[in-house]
Amino acid sequence: MAKHQAMTQEWLDAWKEKIAGSKEYKEIAKGWEGSVSIIVNPDPDKGIPEPLYLFTDYWHGDVKDFLICDKAKAESAKFIMSGDYARWKQVARKEIDSTKALMQGKLKLKGDLTYIVRNIKSVNKVIDLLCEIETVWPDEA
Amino acid sequence: MLEGVIENRAEEVPFAGILTDLLKTNLAQNPGKQSVFRKMGGTAAIDLADIETAVTLVFAGGRLRIEAGIVGKPDLVIRTASDLVTDLNLLRIVGGLPWYFDEAGRRVVAHLLTGRLKIEGLFSHPLLLTRLTKIMSVM
Repeated sequence: MAKHQAMTQEWLDAWKEKIAGSKEYKEIAKGWEGSVSIIVNPDPDKGIPEPLYLFTDYWHGDVKDFLICDKAKAESAKFIMSGDYARWKQVARKEIDSTKALMQGKLKLKGDLTYIVRNIKSVNKVIDLLCEIETVWPDEA
Repeated sequence: MLEGVIENRAEEVPFAGILTDLLKTNLAQNPGKQSVFRKMGGTAAIDLADIETAVTLVFAGGRLRIEAGIVGKPDLVIRTASDLVTDLNLLRIVGGLPWYFDEAGRRVVAHLLTGRLKIEGLFSHPLLLTRLTKIMSVM
């Protein structure tokens, strides 16, 4: 399996392809509509000198734009999740549950939490699919 | 209308902030839950041992105060893990009562039977538990 540099456009493309190819996702995400931004706080020691803004968009089981973007685009998303690089890496490696990370304040969420909870299976599936991507992390390269 | 009815006195506890946001949004979106909320009286604690977090919810006079930790002797104490607590939010309310016969309900029952979810006060304060479930449910 090809390896992808974390938090790059090719990594997002691979993630989008995984989601688009998942029949299970299509089924459980029928009710989901709206975009989710991921903001990665800078951590120069880990190879992240500036904040990173990732924009992902979902529509009733389909996937739309998956982009590296600027701050304004990220902040236009229906949901905005932010956290340190190390936390996102733990989430993408399944070393920490994203719900747990939110409850501990390690990740922050802006947006309608009730919608997220109602659609928690879709959220978890998207993260599971992210975990399947062979990733090269900037602090390990 | 909901301004000031939920007071988060545990701002240092991230889970308390999440609970406050969730309840405020849920009540704002559901007038039926607001009338349940206004009738509530008593205290309920939620203890998430895996992340060493606990909060106490004090319901009185149509208001809720959220305190850090387990304060006093709550009427209900819900003990579970942080990744299971959202299962309680997914319980549907049917005929005014929590519904345990669909996927979400069966999952909660399974957590109770396996000890991954413990509710102290389940039998002594069933009304408070039912009302708490109603206002917490996002379904």
